Amino acid sequence: MRVPVTLKVALLTVVATAFYTYVGQLVPQKEVHPPEVVEMSADLTTADLVGIGEEIANGKGLCFTCHTVGKSGALRFPDLDGIATRAETRIAGFDALTYLAQSLYDPESYIVEGFAGGMPPISKPPIGLTDDEIRAVIAYLQTLGGQATVTMDTLIPFSAAAPEGVPMAAESESGESEPPAETSEEGAA
Amino acid sequence: MKKSHLLIGLVVLLALGGVAAELATFMDERLAYSSPLAADAEHAAEPTPRELALEAQAAAQAEEDANRPYEEEEYRAFPKIGSRVAVWMVAQLHLLFAAFVLAVPMFALIIEFIGYKSGDKRYDDLAYEFTKLLSTSFSFTATLGALLTFLLVALYPKFMNYLMHVFSPTFLPYTLLFFFEAIFLYSYYYGWHAFSKRVHLLLGLALNLVGTAIMFIANAWLTFMTTPAGISSTGARISTWEAVTNYTWMPINIHRIIANVAFGGSIAAAYAAFQFLKAKTPEERAHYDWMGYIGNFVAIAALLPLPFAGYWLASEIYAFSQTMGLTMMGGAFSWLFIIQAILIGNLFLAANYYLWLGMGRIEGAERFRSYIKYLLIVITGCFLVWATPRSILATVGEVQAMGGSSHPALGFLGVMSAKNTAVNLLILTTYVSFLLYRRSGRIPTVAWAKLGNIVQFAIFAVAASTVLFFGIYGYFVEAAVRIKFSIPQVLSVLVAMVAVTVIDIFLLRGAKETETRWGQISNTSQYVLIFLAVTFTWLMGLMGYVRSGLRQHWHVYGVIRDTSPDAYTPTLGFATQVVSVTVLIFFGFIGVVFWLASLGGSHGSEDEAAVTSPSLAEGET
Repeated sequence: MRVPVTLKVALLTVVATAFYTYVGQLVPQKEVHPPEVVEMSADLTTADLVGIGEEIANGKGLCFTCHTVGKSGALRFPDLDGIATRAETRIAGFDALTYLAQSLYDPESYIVEGFAGGMPPISKPPIGLTDDEIRAVIAYLQTLGGQATVTMDTLIPFSAAAPEGVPMAAESESGESEPPAETSEEGAA
Repeated sequence: MKKSHLLIGLVVLLALGGVAAELATFMDERLAYSSPLAADAEHAAEPTPRELALEAQAAAQAEEDANRPYEEEEYRAFPKIGSRVAVWMVAQLHLLFAAFVLAVPMFALIIEFIGYKSGDKRYDDLAYEFTKLLSTSFSFTATLGALLTFLLVALYPKFMNYLMHVFSPTFLPYTLLFFFEAIFLYSYYYGWHAFSKRVHLLLGLALNLVGTAIMFIANAWLTFMTTPAGISSTGARISTWEAVTNYTWMPINIHRIIANVAFGGSIAAAYAAFQFLKAKTPEERAHYDWMGYIGNFVAIAALLPLPFAGYWLASEIYAFSQTMGLTMMGGAFSWLFIIQAILIGNLFLAANYYLWLGMGRIEGAERFRSYIKYLLIVITGCFLVWATPRSILATVGEVQAMGGSSHPALGFLGVMSAKNTAVNLLILTTYVSFLLYRRSGRIPTVAWAKLGNIVQFAIFAVAASTVLFFGIYGYFVEAAVRIKFSIPQVLSVLVAMVAVTVIDIFLLRGAKETETRWGQISNTSQYVLIFLAVTFTWLMGLMGYVRSGLRQHWHVYGVIRDTSPDAYTPTLGFATQVVSVTVLIFFGFIGVVFWLASLGGSHGSEDEAAVTSPSLAEGET
């Protein structure tokens, strides 16, 4: 029996399409849902904040889409291992908390030497973490080479609750007000 | 059946109908509610309590309707498949037809111009035959565009309202251009033999300019959604022009022009292949073999620079948002590029296979046959490298054994250094295949032929070495340095292709030509052309998905959030199913286009005398 050309062509089209569909089923299948706001009550402890912060850093914060922890070599973005220690001395007049906060709220203002910029402010869309979520991320970052100190009562510099443009900790540490740094941070999250 | 039986049947039917009606009336009267008060003549005209209640209910409803405040609906749901899939499929179908309608006039005009300059009527006929596919396709494009607009307005009213807020100044020019597109397209087609050749060529040029302008405007809308500009942080319009000229607008414009030509060429080649397979005479086979060859040549010529345009687009996405760039290449969509690699690998393999099969119709091509196996080895090797994923799905034990999600050895082939090297060598090898095909029918006669060959070989060697050097060196430098290596890799391949082509043109001047036996090619080659068209179409569907899907749960990335039930990124498996269904529907439609085009009369034999002429080889490449 002779198969009509039209049928052969139709079969070829269906088989080729089916093959590509099959290839599509072979790769990892993952649905990505929009992140939900993490509910944070006022009675959370620092340890709670660290746990929540780590979860956010691994999830909706998208931190580890770019950053690594404990890797070296030809990295595209700064490795975060030991960030808590480096944060204390990175910018003159900024304590670790201020540095970390600035790196999250205004990351392009300071770029670590050897790296290009590109990190978005994570308090704004598309990532859009809330102030409390950023507080938790900072608590987690403090554990990378240091000890977490942030509590739910800590005033986070650059957050909505902080006086505009004033790096709070710089003032409290030195006892005198310093002007906001013109260039800021590393792009931690 | 006897007439009397029919009459009796009708009478019985009418009688039964009458009895049924009487019975229904009787039962209705018997069973209807009767108020006990009805027996009292004094209350006989008063409404029953039920009637009063119904009246009160209707009055309350009327009052509620009259006072109901207007509320803008944010979303409406499309039944069964959901709004997103409905819009996705219609948009993809619209884009496929639009790509075809924009691409065909481009190469039809060029082929017509070649015919005009060379005086070879076959080119003019070929251009006309390509254009025959346009008129129905244009109607399909417009209809699907209207359907897409209606769906968007009906299903996403609030978001469409926002887009109008930003882009309303572009709507009038778009409509006017569309109007001119229709005028130029139909005058180009119907006026083929009515106008002087120069006027007709001008019409073709105007058609192309208007079509391209239409695409540029539509591209502004969709690229704005991915890389918004010209608006405030809350979405208020600041500048429509800035919104138009957003980060990815021009890269998409260029990428689409090239991709449209590749896609259009492949569909036109598939049309020729289909006609070849149905051809009854050697003349028809010769003609459609040639047409398929030209269509495929257009497709592959456009495919070669496409990865470079894609690279520019990707770099602009990174420039706009590192997060989005990394989501694309290292996050949710990273595995999509493995599927893409398989598709493009198939395109290159099939395109080369077609060229190698085509050598069979050229006298004297035997001398190049022995090279094919080496080309095949290189192409297959590059294909495998490109399709190697960086990280692989593995069990916890396997991950621990490997020391991570990357395979200890194969993982090195999954990084960009290896992939860039593979794709550049793939392009270079395909170009060599094409060059061998071009050389098959010609023997250089210039005095410096040997030197020319050596120089060409040296250029290839330098280009391949450059690509390999930067590919390997990329493993030893920082990312910021490594990412710039793709530029010398791309440039070396581009320069090599241009330089070798220029040398080849001079080298083959006055070359001794052998006979090209058009039509004497296996049917397999024609199925390869159809396979190429399906693969091109599927690839367009897939890449359209990633371009749009990159926004994830945003209508306008970072500005207008998608809060509909579809605000999530589906699995790649689901996405490929939608792409496949769309591709099959498209080929169903394109079958109608082919059928309608064939109604205009099959290619006659009057043009065929010269089809097998060796002179054909001069203009074919």
